[in-house]
Amino acid sequence: MPPSFFNHLLLISLFELKRAFATRRGLLSLITFAVVWYFILLYPLRFAAELLAQEKGFKQDFGFLDFIGLGSIHHWPIPEFGVFWQLALIIFPILSITLAADQTCSDRERGTLRFIVLRSSRDRVFFGRFAGVMVIQALLISAAAFSTLALALYRDAMLFSSAWPNLLALIVNLILVVLPFTALMATLSAQVKTARQATLWAILIWTFLAGLINGLANYLPALAFLKLLIPGYQLAELTQLSGWQPLQLAYIPLLQTFILLAFGRWIMARQVL
Amino acid sequence: MKSPIIQCQQLSHAYAGKVALSNVTFELDAGEPIGLVGPNGAGKTTLLNILSGFLRPTSGRARLFGHPPGAVQLNGQVSALPQDARLDASFTVTEQLVFYARLQGMARQQAMLETGRVLDAFALTEVGHEKPPVLSHGMAKRVAIAQALIGHPALVLLDEPTAGLDPVNVRTVRAVIAEQASRTTFIISSHDLAELDRLCQHVLLLENGRLQTETIREDEQPTASRFITLQMEPCPALDVMASLKALDGVLQVTNPQKNEFIVEYNPGVQPNMDQLLMQAIHAHHWHYRQLSHGKTLEEKLFFKG
Repeated sequence: MPPSFFNHLLLISLFELKRAFATRRGLLSLITFAVVWYFILLYPLRFAAELLAQEKGFKQDFGFLDFIGLGSIHHWPIPEFGVFWQLALIIFPILSITLAADQTCSDRERGTLRFIVLRSSRDRVFFGRFAGVMVIQALLISAAAFSTLALALYRDAMLFSSAWPNLLALIVNLILVVLPFTALMATLSAQVKTARQATLWAILIWTFLAGLINGLANYLPALAFLKLLIPGYQLAELTQLSGWQPLQLAYIPLLQTFILLAFGRWIMARQVL
Repeated sequence: MKSPIIQCQQLSHAYAGKVALSNVTFELDAGEPIGLVGPNGAGKTTLLNILSGFLRPTSGRARLFGHPPGAVQLNGQVSALPQDARLDASFTVTEQLVFYARLQGMARQQAMLETGRVLDAFALTEVGHEKPPVLSHGMAKRVAIAQALIGHPALVLLDEPTAGLDPVNVRTVRAVIAEQASRTTFIISSHDLAELDRLCQHVLLLENGRLQTETIREDEQPTASRFITLQMEPCPALDVMASLKALDGVLQVTNPQKNEFIVEYNPGVQPNMDQLLMQAIHAHHWHYRQLSHGKTLEEKLFFKG
């Protein structure tokens, strides 16, 4: 009896984890991410958080943060998490566009995908790769969040017990944020020939789709609901929310992910391997 | 009742309007290896890609063991050597073959053993820990054939399995196919007709996307005459033809290539024609290189009459 759908999903996503954490190329990407994150943590994140933590600095900067749209930072009980949230909302979607760009395209061009679909199905490969890349991103998000927690504890060890619910909220909300970006890359990867093409198309589609829908909505407000189709549409609103509040908007990335994956699956089923 | 392992009905495919396969209809039963021949662009790879589930036909229907190509139910039953497909450069050969075996439903330990078995069959045990970029063309090809044999599938589609291999490795591939042919049906696409002649009982000829003939071994054909193909050392062709034609039972002698003669004879008149031919060659002090019963596959397919 052939293995079940979930068995293949597990095997394929575990192989992707192995690619990310146990191959030279994957490790190089991880080291690059770690080095970049280290400097983000050490300078912008630490300095901004320390500034916020000082009562004097907090009062002085409050108006300025409101002015630049980051007033919600002070809603976070731990300043490091507030700064992390704002930075992560920019960094992780961008990381997702590059990290998830090569879900199937280079394997398809090389012919490797043929060896795999002989033993599985296109659906299983498509969703297995998506799941694998999502797990990798979840681990990176968690690592970044834990490093931010370590930074906060280094400043004030008393925060240990109160930090956990917020840490969990950060991780869950960021995973929801990157879901539609990863689904967009899965769909593009099923269509184009290289990861670079997928990344370029993602930027073009994102820019033009956002411009087109915003333009249409200006003339015909009834079409404003189409904005829901733009991955990251809710990011501006998310910057104003803290803790578990962003879950109120979770339906947006989930809906986008569902639509993009359905479209990607359709492309994958018709693609010549 | 035994049902065919492959059923194709009115199978057609076109690439951007250019017809690659046109209304191909055939059925194949499990058994001896089956050859798929035809000139470049005849549609062989297109047909194998459709049967492997890599390509959707423009029209028509294909079924393997009663399932559409690419169906999950065919996992472990059907395998293939896709043309020009390469393994992932990031992982070792063993890692990838173990992964494929696990996708076929094997436990980790069993997958390791099976990977070892197929690599050993092609004398590739020592390259298992290597990554694909360091393999020579011949090694990569043998690894690609080896992956097709994981788990003893019932049907294996091989697209140009011996192209680019040296004679020693061609012999290895041939031996492995012959050894596994008792439990696996192979469909082999190749330009090497001598190779197919050695391996296959049944041959499909594709030309311009159309299925032209289905040829079976001559001894299975109920005909009044038989053929012997004679390859000679350099010799006077006209004299040889005249001498052979004069033999009792010979119906016709042709000289399709330099130093090659095809003798058509009536087995009812002269059942031991091979011995008679050798006596005639000896009597004229000529030397022969090879004498074989029947026509070559090339003669049967492309030079009828």
